[in-house]
Amino acid sequence: MDNINVLIVEDTPAESDALVEVLSENNYNIVGVARTHQEALTLFYQNTIDIVVIDVFLDGKPDGITFAETINIVPDGQKPFVFLTSSKDRQIFERAKLTKPFSFLMKPFNELEILYALEMAVEKFYEQTNVFHSEDQNTVISRDSLFIKKNKVLKKVQIKDILYIEVEDRYCNIITDAEKFVILISLTKIIQLLDPAKFCQTHRNYIVNLSKIQQINVNDNLIILKGNHKVTLSDKYKDFVKNFRILK
Amino acid sequence: MVKIKHFLFLIIISFPFLLFSQLKFDSKLFSSEIKKKAKEFNEEFNFNKAQYFFLENNWDSTLVYSMKQLSSENKELNDYCHYFRATSFNNKKLFKEAKKEFNLISSKFKFKYKAKLALGEIALKQNEFRKGLKYFKEIENLPNSSIYDLKKSTVFHNIGLCYLHLKKIDEAEKYLFKASKLQELEKDTLMLIGSYTDIANLYYEQYKDAQAIPYFEKAYNLSRKVKSFELKQNATLNMAVVEENRKNFPLALTYRKEYEAWKDSLNDQNKVWAIADLEKKFAIKQKQKEVDVLAAENKAKKAERNVFFISSVLLFVMFGAGVYFYRQKAKNNKIILAQKNQLDELNATKDKLFSIVSHDLRSSVNALKTSNGKLMENLKHKNYSELDVLLHKNSSIASGAYNLLDNLLNWALLQTQQAYFYRESLHLATIVQHVEFNYKPLMFNKNINFRNDVVAADHVFADLDSLKIIIRNFLDNAIKFSKENGTISIYTRPSSEEFCYLVIEDTGLGMKESTRKELLKETILLSKKQNDDIIGTGLGMQLCKSLIRKNEGKLDIESEENVGTRIIIALPKFKNHG
Repeated sequence: MDNINVLIVEDTPAESDALVEVLSENNYNIVGVARTHQEALTLFYQNTIDIVVIDVFLDGKPDGITFAETINIVPDGQKPFVFLTSSKDRQIFERAKLTKPFSFLMKPFNELEILYALEMAVEKFYEQTNVFHSEDQNTVISRDSLFIKKNKVLKKVQIKDILYIEVEDRYCNIITDAEKFVILISLTKIIQLLDPAKFCQTHRNYIVNLSKIQQINVNDNLIILKGNHKVTLSDKYKDFVKNFRILK
Repeated sequence: MVKIKHFLFLIIISFPFLLFSQLKFDSKLFSSEIKKKAKEFNEEFNFNKAQYFFLENNWDSTLVYSMKQLSSENKELNDYCHYFRATSFNNKKLFKEAKKEFNLISSKFKFKYKAKLALGEIALKQNEFRKGLKYFKEIENLPNSSIYDLKKSTVFHNIGLCYLHLKKIDEAEKYLFKASKLQELEKDTLMLIGSYTDIANLYYEQYKDAQAIPYFEKAYNLSRKVKSFELKQNATLNMAVVEENRKNFPLALTYRKEYEAWKDSLNDQNKVWAIADLEKKFAIKQKQKEVDVLAAENKAKKAERNVFFISSVLLFVMFGAGVYFYRQKAKNNKIILAQKNQLDELNATKDKLFSIVSHDLRSSVNALKTSNGKLMENLKHKNYSELDVLLHKNSSIASGAYNLLDNLLNWALLQTQQAYFYRESLHLATIVQHVEFNYKPLMFNKNINFRNDVVAADHVFADLDSLKIIIRNFLDNAIKFSKENGTISIYTRPSSEEFCYLVIEDTGLGMKESTRKELLKETILLSKKQNDDIIGTGLGMQLCKSLIRKNEGKLDIESEENVGTRIIIALPKFKNHG
């Protein structure tokens, strides 16, 4: 599991320092701290960013909103972000609101609030609300990553690293090349959210990353994945084999 | 020759008189016939009009309506109409038109002979004696039965006249005698005078003076009995001429004089008529003037009345408008007064708030000041243990002041509606956790046992920031009123369909029932300060109430003195669909 990459756009060093400290303590990876709009853009496009924390007012101007508007223009380049503001000025809010999905945090804030705000930003951005604070789910699934809240810490797993998923009751065992861990999500939901071109159910309890399949043993009802992981193939789901070009 | 001239003159002037008397005479019988016709055809409006005007001798109108009648479909009445028109033209001396109209009358017409008679008379007037004679002869030859109301004597007389003019003396003599005999029988004096005169003229022209004179005398004697000045004048003149020719000058002179007298009286009569006419005209003019004046007066009166009417309407409208505007104004005044009172109240509140806040801030800052002085003192003396205590005290003072300022700011934003307000689904437990996080040190200091038992599944529909302010204020209060080692717990009661009940419970001082009620009152005024040490400005409470209302929630308080207080906040639940 990887840490979440955060870009901080904040012109006041005292505040950014506090923010960096709090986020680092909670296992967030701070990619950088931008002081200006321009700097923010540079950092944003040079690094892999998962979440952006933006102060609305940079040097007295609402450049934070401008930055959010700028990154929102590129359709695939959008990322979740959180506005920080000490002003409750309605006009600013009305403008900020247009940069959907919109989440904000009033200054001053405590540790819990900023963490909550970041989680909310992820939930809202991927349109899977009420996940991190519910009791039956702890994972938000984006196009290329799983955002998992584990022990009050938000983590990330790249979907392309997943070998297969083993479902056990309300839990899913995620098996990657390097590790194995449990997330809280229902089977129906995870199937809904995963790209069907990349993942396929082979058994009542198994979902397999198609790109990781090395061998399908139809007679033994067995699929052998990369790293010699063996997954059961049940008769009910055998149809998926037809998707492959079979060499004769 | 002179004599003949005179006779001719006499004859000619006697015609109009003859014709006139004739027309008048036959009109009576004819009119009854016309009226009968009119009754028969009473649907024919134009004919009725025409006959009415005809009998009234209003020739112009008769012409107009008879013309209209002629252009209508009903041909039965055409003969009458032609007759009306012809007679009208005749009376207007338009003989050519009259002749044309008379000729248009069909031969079936009951009164065709009248037309013929009229034609004959016209011919006579225009000196076309032969033609006239022809017409008269036709009538003469008609059987008596078909001539309803015509006097044969007239026809004979006219025939006689025609012969006279045509110099057929014998014939003339014969007819004139016939006529005079008939007239004698009919006792028609006027006509008889004409006949006698004509007979006399007839003889006189043939120089049969002996025969002529008795007729002249007869005419003269008869004329004395009649009233017509014209006849008298003619008869007298004839006598004068006769006597003159007889060289009986004194008698002639007497006749002359008589003639002159008649002439004068005729003239006088004419003059009198003329004067009467003038007077009549003048009177008419006068009347007309009076009528005009009256009309003008009427007009003026009408105008006056209109003006009066319009002005009264205008006045009424103005009065109505005045009443309306007065009422409106009174209403507005009432509203303004109410608003003014409200504003005054608000202003008083604001002033009070201002003084309380400044007082609180002043004491806070003053406390900090003195505390800082002590800090410096202790730092000098390196009394580190005391430093820690003082710093903690300072920080609590600062946070208290900060809370006050924060509330003040939020209050101001709420009052001016400037705050951003966006309601969304909020995870209640997490929010409580966030608020509690800031108070952890404070509670730790007071050794307060805190429990957050909010159900994880509870989501409310509220504005995040205002919800935080509400919880913060109530938690702050709970801590403030709690004793050392007290317990504060935040939990949710079983929720209803629409509301989620968040309870903040403490085991603190509690409050009196009256205070509880006071706090729950829907008022914009700040509650009074009772205990300066612990109870704050009341601003926090007011802010919370306003914010709860804005979030469509409800507030309730359960409290018991020295046992504890429960603040119950009802917040609308979040519903996914609607």
